[in-house]
Parts: sequence; structure tokens; C-alpha cells
Amino acid sequence: MADAKEVSRLKALAYEMRKKLIHLCGNYDGIVHIGGDLSMTDLLIGLYHHGLKVDPKQIGSPTRDRFLLSKGHGAVCMYIAMSLRGYFDYDEIVRTYGQLDSAYGMHPCKIQLPGVDCSSGSLGQGLAMAAGMAFSAKQKKEAHRVFCMMGDGETCEGEVWEAANTAGSYKLGNLIGVVDRNKQLMTSFDGDYMNLEPYADKWRAFNWNVVEFNGHDMAQIVDALDNLPPVTGSRPTALIASTVKGKGVSFMEKNIGWHAGALSPEDMQKALADIEAGFAGKGSAA
Amino acid sequence: MKVTFNFGSFLSARSVMGDTMVELGENYKNVWALTADTGGALKEYKQKFPDRYIDVGVAEQNLAGIAAGLALEGNVPFIAGMIPFMTMRACEQNRTAICYQDLPVRFIGTGGGLTSGGGSTHNAMEDISIMKSMVNMAVLSIGDPNMVRDIMLLSMTYPHPLYIRLAQGKKDRMLYEPGAYEYKIGMGITAREGKDATIISHGEMVFEALEAAKTLADEGIDVRVVDMYSIKPVDKDLVCKVARETGNILVLEDHLMEGGLASTIADVFVDSGVYPKKFKRLGIPQVFAGFGSGEELRAKFGYDKTAAVAAIKKMLK
Repeated sequence: MADAKEVSRLKALAYEMRKKLIHLCGNYDGIVHIGGDLSMTDLLIGLYHHGLKVDPKQIGSPTRDRFLLSKGHGAVCMYIAMSLRGYFDYDEIVRTYGQLDSAYGMHPCKIQLPGVDCSSGSLGQGLAMAAGMAFSAKQKKEAHRVFCMMGDGETCEGEVWEAANTAGSYKLGNLIGVVDRNKQLMTSFDGDYMNLEPYADKWRAFNWNVVEFNGHDMAQIVDALDNLPPVTGSRPTALIASTVKGKGVSFMEKNIGWHAGALSPEDMQKALADIEAGFAGKGSAA
Repeated sequence: MKVTFNFGSFLSARSVMGDTMVELGENYKNVWALTADTGGALKEYKQKFPDRYIDVGVAEQNLAGIAAGLALEGNVPFIAGMIPFMTMRACEQNRTAICYQDLPVRFIGTGGGLTSGGGSTHNAMEDISIMKSMVNMAVLSIGDPNMVRDIMLLSMTYPHPLYIRLAQGKKDRMLYEPGAYEYKIGMGITAREGKDATIISHGEMVFEALEAAKTLADEGIDVRVVDMYSIKPVDKDLVCKVARETGNILVLEDHLMEGGLASTIADVFVDSGVYPKKFKRLGIPQVFAGFGSGEELRAKFGYDKTAAVAAIKKMLK
């Protein structure tokens, strides 16, 4: 059972992060993948501020847990979650995001930004890389885990299932796939064209341990992260988090138009008001 | 000349590759062998180092990603497999997961050019063009199986992605005595001296070039042969030198004439401002070549030793 104080702390961080996301989006002269950012905000807070054994003061520590953001277009969400943990300076992210020579751009680049564990942006490639890292850790008998955050849309890619098959076959118990299951692709809802269900069964079929939970319920997130099987276990784990694209902003939630976008000053004020109301318990419960 | 040519001797480059993997596995605890169901030559490695051997089945994209993940953790993964699938099926993974992060993954591909015997699906005629276009990727082409071991050992000091193209890999001609050369990524070998023209080649086509040079020598034509085993980076100084000294340049390769070594050499001329008197390329035209042995297809499409002899004679008229 998740500790109530810890859940409360994480909820406050998620609230802070949503506001920072909107602030950045409203002050950036370009588009931000705000819909998918808001759907994984709670998950990333749960990971970077509770689940992952990481230390921003020792970014290259071999004993740290690894985190790969396979849905690379959510980079800004990761930057902010990490900045709240002390990795990066939020003001620097806002000031330079997407600018020439900035380390902070639409998709994370390990070469330009030490502290992230891998570069990504082309969808569907993260899980195989995470499996490679898990192979290495297992062979060296290291105790850390490798986490890979995926969007459900990118799991249409064949490489994801090739990697899932390999991880299940080789019993990579130290590998954790985290799926932001918001049931939206960029231009359609799950089921409009591609039907991803029965989603959890697909992972089970590849011999994964599957945990399903509400990706906006911080207590459930904490519980899922606190109760992972041991790294020496015989199955990789898929954390399938049911989420809402655009979560917390009324005009973005489940709106195809808000996969990515730019915020006008009026939109920004409305979004911030929605997030504030949501944190006070008066917002959308979508 | 340091070179000894053993035209009658053959060796399996695949076996050399497999033996060298064992040697590397013993000497380097961070070496891994990876395959997508084509690990026949890796049996001994698999037995000796089962915890550093991965066979993912027929899933080349996934394999490239796994290699990237291993390399991110300080390992040196060697991917062994058939060229078309290693280079084309996993093209984007090679580029984005491996080259973008500048990781020391080694690709060792068999069945270079039209040597596969499997027809057009299994022929490797675009691979050099594809792989050399990738930032950070070095591209080597080796015909002599004795070179395979030396290059694999050399690769352990190279901190970037590396593609090593072999010929068919089953029965390859030995050109150089072991230890005859200190190989270096970015260098070519002058395999035969000559002053009237130069044939620049790579892989097992170097043998064809040397045979052509022998035939031409009988007619009083003195042809130099360069083994440009390092296609990217290419030995620009050597390219310019042979253009200045012999004037006439023929590039002979088992790859599409567009995008391979000939294109690289042409780029060197244009970029350096050093131009040969004449320049000719022989290789695979824009066709899907179909079935037949490498030798038969080379003859059919006009890039074997006979074609090289004719091309040099025409050039010197």
C-alpha cells in the first residue's frame, strides 16, 4: 500500500510539472507534443521521483537504474521531470528549448545532453536498446533495472514485438517496459483504424509479467513501482498505465488536435486554470 | 614487394571470422557475438561464451537495437549475418540507434556483391552505398580471408561503428601472406606496382584486378592495382597519387556502379581538384541480376577480369 505522504508529495510534483509544461509550451515559438506529455506526466514523476534508483549527482554511476524514453517526442516532459529532480535547470530548458545549439530539443540526444541514457525520436526503437542494456546488466550480474517508456501508438512498430519476444525468451527479469496507454495515435483513436486490444494479452503472450493500473492515480503508480518482481526474475515486466492524452487540460483531453501544438496566451491561461482546478479536486475526471 | 600472392589457395572467411570471435571473446570480456539466425560460424564462440552470445531469430532490426543497448553499456557487439538484411532491413536502426549515438558496433556481412548465389533478394549490391552514407560509420571491404582476423583485431581500437563486408565467405582466395601488412582504417594497399594505368578495387575483385594486370603485362602494359579495402574513410592521398602517376584509372567493384567505391573515388577527384587523364568504372549496372554464381554474373554484366583487360586497353588507345 502506497505511503500517503509520498503519494501527496508526488502529486504536488506532478501538479508543478504540468504547470511548467504549459509555461514552456506557451513561451515557445513552435509546437510541443503537449498531449502525450500530459498523459505521461504522472508516470514520469512516479519514475524519476520515486521508482528509479538514480542520483543526479552521479549521472554515470554503473549501479543506477537506466531509463530510456522510447517515445522520444515526449523529451520535454522528461527534461522537466529530471529538472525537478535536480538534473537540469528548468529556466535553462525554457530559455533554450528548440533553439540553435541547445541541448534541449524535441527529441532527446544523449551526445548533446549527458544525463539521458539514450537518444531517441524514431518510434519503436527504445525497447530493443533497453533489452541490450538489460542483457549487459544480467551478464555482469548487476542489480539495477532498465526501464523503457513507450507510447502505445509506437507499439504498432514491428521492432517492439521483436524485442518483446527476445526479452521474454531470454528471461530478462531486469527489464521493465512502461506503456503510456492513452489509446490515441497522432491522427486517430485506438480502434478507428488500428485496434491494439487485447493489449495486455499481447505482452503476456510474449511471456511478460503484466501489471495494469491507472496512470493518473499516483497511489497505483507507486504501488506498481514498489512491487516489481526481483531483477533476477524470469520474466520482464510490462507496466501498462491507462492514461488520457492531454490529461488535466479540458480542451486537450482526448482531442486529436492536441497531439502536438502551440498555446496562445489565452489557451495558456485556460490550461493553467484547468490544471489548478484539477489539483484542487475540481477538474476534469476524464 | 611485401605481398605474396597465393592465387591457388582458398580459405573460408566465415571460419576465420568465427575463430577470431573466439580469440576476441577470450581476450576482451566486453565482446559479444550477435546474430539473427545466421550464426553457423559462431558455434565455438557460443559454446565458450554463452552469456555473451545472442541469437534473436530472424529479427535484424531488433538485433541492431540490442547491439546499440549493449554498446551503450560499454560492450563491443559484433553482428554477423547476411549483408542485405543487416544493411537494408535494419537500415534505420543502424543509422539512428547505432550511428547517431556513435557506438562501437561491428557489422560483419557475408555474401558481398553478387556472390550469394541466392538471387536478387540475397545479393548485396547497395550495401556500401547505404552504409557509407551513415554519419560515423566506417566501411571496409575484404576479400582475403587472412585480412579478416587482422581487421577484426584492429577494430578493437576503433571507437565508432564499423561495417566489414566480406565476399561470399565460404571459399575465398588468399591474396596476402598473414602479417604482410599493417592494416589501417583509412588506408589502401598498392597490391601491384605499375605505371600505365591503375585498377582500384575492393574485396575479392582485387583478385580479378590482379589477374587482369597479369594478362596485360604479357602484352607489355604495366598496370598498378590498388586494394582499397577502406572505402570510408578512403585513402585520398593514394587516390590522388595514382591519378598523378598513372593517369588512367579504372574502378572495378562488385557493387552497383552508382554509390560504391567508384562514386567515392569520383568524389575525391572532384573535391581535390586532382583529375585522372581517363576514368572508367566497371561494376553492377542498374539491374536485378538474378541467379548464377558470382563469376558467371560478373562475366554476364561485364565487370570481370576480361572486361577489365578490355577497358584498360581501350583507355590506353
